[in-house]
Amino acid sequence: MIISTNWLSDYINHGLSANELADQLTMCGLEVESVEKLGSTFEGVVVGLVESKRPHPNADRLSVCMVNVGAELPLQIVCGASNVAPGQHVAVATIGTTLQLPTREDPSVTAPVVMKQAKIRGEESSGMICASDELGLGGDHSGIMVLDETAAVGTSFVAYLSARGSSLSDCAIDISITPNRPDAISHLGIARDVAALTGAAVVRPSVDIPSVGGAASEQVKISIEAPELCSRYTGVLVKNVVIQESPEWMKQRLTTIGLRPRNIIVDITNFVMYECGQPLHAFDFDQVAGGQIIVKATKGLTTFTTLDSKERELPSGTLMICDGEREVAIAGIMGGENSEVTDKTTNVLIESAYFDPSSIRRTSKALQLQTDASYRFERGIDAKGQAWAALRAAQLMVELAGGELVHGMVDNHPVPHVSRTVKVRASRVGKIVGVEIAPDEMVRLVKAIGFEVRELSSEPKEWEVTVPSFRPDVEREIDVIEEIARLYGFDNIPEPSHSRVPNFIPSVSNTRLQRERIRDVLAGSGFRETYTNSMLPSSTSEAFNSSSLPAGRFKGEVVLTLNPITTEMSTLRPSMLPGMLKVVGHNQNHGQTALRLFEFGRVHSKKKTNLSLVGDYTEIESLILISSGNWSAQGWYGEGREVDLFDLKGTIELVLSAVGLSNIRFIDSKPDPLFSFGVDVLSGKRWIGTIARVSNSATKPYDIRSSTLMAELDWTAISDMTASQSQVRYEAISRFPVVERDLAVLIGRDQAVGPILETITRAGQPLLKAVQVFDLYEGKGIDPSKKSVAFGLRFGSDRTLRDNDVDRAVSKVLKALEGDFDAQLR
Amino acid sequence: MSDPKNHSAEAALAALKELQHEIQESVLDSIEAVDEYRIRFLSRKQGQITALLKRIPEVANEHKKHFGQEINAAKALVEARIESATVQFSAGEESSGPVPDLTLPGRVAAKGSLHPITQALRLITRVFESYGFEVAEGPEIEDDWHNFSALNFPPDHPARDMQDTFFIEAPSHVHSGILLRTHTSPVQIRVMENKKPPIRVIVPGRVYRNEAISYKSYCLFHQVEGLYIDEGVTMANLKQIIHAFARTMFGENVKMRFRPSFFPFTEPSAEVDIWWEDANLPDGGRWMEIMGCGMVDPNVLEGLGIDSEKYTGYAFGMGIERISMLRFGIEDIRILYENDVRFLEQFS
Repeated sequence: MIISTNWLSDYINHGLSANELADQLTMCGLEVESVEKLGSTFEGVVVGLVESKRPHPNADRLSVCMVNVGAELPLQIVCGASNVAPGQHVAVATIGTTLQLPTREDPSVTAPVVMKQAKIRGEESSGMICASDELGLGGDHSGIMVLDETAAVGTSFVAYLSARGSSLSDCAIDISITPNRPDAISHLGIARDVAALTGAAVVRPSVDIPSVGGAASEQVKISIEAPELCSRYTGVLVKNVVIQESPEWMKQRLTTIGLRPRNIIVDITNFVMYECGQPLHAFDFDQVAGGQIIVKATKGLTTFTTLDSKERELPSGTLMICDGEREVAIAGIMGGENSEVTDKTTNVLIESAYFDPSSIRRTSKALQLQTDASYRFERGIDAKGQAWAALRAAQLMVELAGGELVHGMVDNHPVPHVSRTVKVRASRVGKIVGVEIAPDEMVRLVKAIGFEVRELSSEPKEWEVTVPSFRPDVEREIDVIEEIARLYGFDNIPEPSHSRVPNFIPSVSNTRLQRERIRDVLAGSGFRETYTNSMLPSSTSEAFNSSSLPAGRFKGEVVLTLNPITTEMSTLRPSMLPGMLKVVGHNQNHGQTALRLFEFGRVHSKKKTNLSLVGDYTEIESLILISSGNWSAQGWYGEGREVDLFDLKGTIELVLSAVGLSNIRFIDSKPDPLFSFGVDVLSGKRWIGTIARVSNSATKPYDIRSSTLMAELDWTAISDMTASQSQVRYEAISRFPVVERDLAVLIGRDQAVGPILETITRAGQPLLKAVQVFDLYEGKGIDPSKKSVAFGLRFGSDRTLRDNDVDRAVSKVLKALEGDFDAQLR
Repeated sequence: MSDPKNHSAEAALAALKELQHEIQESVLDSIEAVDEYRIRFLSRKQGQITALLKRIPEVANEHKKHFGQEINAAKALVEARIESATVQFSAGEESSGPVPDLTLPGRVAAKGSLHPITQALRLITRVFESYGFEVAEGPEIEDDWHNFSALNFPPDHPARDMQDTFFIEAPSHVHSGILLRTHTSPVQIRVMENKKPPIRVIVPGRVYRNEAISYKSYCLFHQVEGLYIDEGVTMANLKQIIHAFARTMFGENVKMRFRPSFFPFTEPSAEVDIWWEDANLPDGGRWMEIMGCGMVDPNVLEGLGIDSEKYTGYAFGMGIERISMLRFGIEDIRILYENDVRFLEQFS
């Protein structure tokens, strides 16, 4: 909410500069987002009288005016406004005047411009006839500003303004109001806090509040059929108003706070709302059938045209204001077109009501329509402020619009406001805030913002605090403590010199330590970490919700959001692969051809599993690795080499060994259109991930030009298996030498090596400690249907191995290979 | 006069003296030369020292000791020279061929890096771990209860507008509904559901906000929240820990201020600003918000069965992106999610 410092000064003489004021407000919980100085000193701007006007000979849109500014000779001024006319009193910026004018590049930014003698399309021009925005008075640029005829020609514009109650300059302070401060959404509300901070007094305009009844109650009937949604409805009638523009001072105030002045009646309702926080609505009373107001909720779907000329569908249960025949306003949100104040209005019914905050919020949400009124009602307005606000508006309509107040008022008040009291203990304040505040000081602070305090006990000190009606947010002791702390000043709370740490042993999450360790392992292996968006278009999520990938294996649906920002981000990722492919494509397009990337993140599936924490959703952590282009770079020492599956396989083996996961197996994956080929990674029988070459059809949409390998692991499963591993115990290193034997065997050309390794490992027990493949050969010298594989076997034991021990183990291995794979020793 | 044994000893000593020079000066500049040297002196059949050793019995008793010492010393010297030359050659092919061009660049190793968000998060975590905080994590898809209601957001309250929410399932009744968590505070609730005070925990994680994407906001970001529930915890303690944190992140002399604010789950609530020097600004800098915090609202504690009269606590929360953007001088949040290698490699 924006406040005007001039306007605020009407209620409190705080003696602070705009910046000091902003600082104090911020430090008491009313955060100032910006302070904008408006207007200028108007030095050099004078009142002029347009004596004549002729068309500019060389420009259709311009005219040449002779303007009397009280000097001996009139000034010739070229003017571009169409509304300029002889006889008008205008504001003239004379030569040498500095004005803040909108820049050509960005009209919302102004820069100082000095008026100079100029020739405009061949005609001399000695100054400028100003529009109101050129004077920093905001808004209207549709034409020059036309002054009162009574303005004395040649006098300063400043004098003109101040004679009319306007100020030379103003400050707009934009305050971000938190939801707990409905009392601060008005100038008087802000003034209340400023008073508490500075000790200055708040002066509220005096308003005569008539007794309920009188002539008004004979002409206006108000009935409330939904008292739970409307606890009070006050109506005041003003007749014979003359619809006109508001006086300059009011227009200036409204403009400063960002409102567009409309007509005197609408402006007054806005003015009073920003003055005291009570939203008002003005009905054209002649459009209110039967002079009757009925407050009731709709039954069934209703359509209604609001005063912004939009037809709206109202859900059942919407609280409406009706007259004798029809709906005339959506309660607390917006009036109807059928009863709004127009140029022809003469009689005005002012509505000042209290509507239930939740009901207004629900309606406002359902209609996606937030107004200044709904913003205040949904936060909770002053439950006792209705009569004052209605009469304040009526008084202004009498003063400024020539209206006549119809005697009396209607005040339907089915649910009277009951003041709330809260018990507050002085000791509790210290327990929360951590600083000893003197009890008298606490009392002074809360009294300053309108709370009443009655002592219940002096030892220990306890009070009964009565909460003012404009603070609906204060319900409990802690709310009062917050008020005390806020006004005492958080900056005045001292920091203790020592830290308090409880005497307990923080548990360490192995899951997290492991993840951090793997991050380091991967960064050390040349992979760069990425953070990609979790939200994907639904077509992408559908395509990658593959049962070859960790989250897709749950065979659930893709998780959709109900209210996406764009369709590009309407689902949660079932895999990190598409996000990664996008990164690969982006980087290749920017000249990075050799890529190794990784990311840890959550992937999602709509499926109830034993991992579901919330609803029917399964969320697991995934680790993705991707590599595209060259794995090793070309250099003086040799050619570069494009990444292949074994590069990623080696990295995955490194990762899994780093977390201590053993018994890793790789088996061919079943075909998947996302991949050209790949292997599933298992630990024992448990699936933990996949390593694959991404198919060209899958990389194509991402504009990827080189072979791309990926691995995605179910990190939740891996953590589950490894995080609870018992502490490592040292195992004595064998003092006995190891024996190495090489074994080259011939096997069928199509025979996979993986199962052979498994057989060797099994058959070599217990002496075989390690096995590796050191050569693979097919071609010249061997049977074309065969290939030769050479294994290095390493044997060891806790005794010295004799040759025949090892021979026996080797022949056991050979026999198994012969049996399982028809392998022949080469 | 001439005892044949004396004569023999003299001859043997003379022979040894003759060898001394060669033992010491022979050039051992290749493996071959070392082999030749060893064969010449130590070989069982032709070795000259071996031959002298065989002659010991011929020497007269009174000279035996002296002769034996001399010959063994010579043998030790030969062995030492062989040893040192062998070590030298086995360390590399130093002498085989010319020295390569050492100005050629090294073989390229792929360079990895950690994302700036990870780096900032680690720094933040380390600060709080050093003050005895545990680390907890929780789900990104949350229910309304943990994300809002248990945190004292009343239904139909404007406080819910403070965090624009992505919904997954519309609420069918009060407190129901499934959504993407808007903050990591629901994990605080999950921790308190499972644990009795003292509780001292930080919660890092990804959170989502349904806001238009711009240079300063993205549809998701990462938060670290902290929670400390114990007997006798006050706002003064909160100020102290936050100040310690700010000094670690932004320097010992960081200027910090606490100003009152509002969060449904804390009361009193505050926002923390640090003074950010910027010579281009009229005041020489400006206040930058780095986090929100406050004393845990009694409603939150009571809702979890924690006696709010006995226990008090503080909570705080900050955006990691915001902190890393400040630390690293990043001006557009979107670049963090673009993952351009030219950006990532700056954080190696």
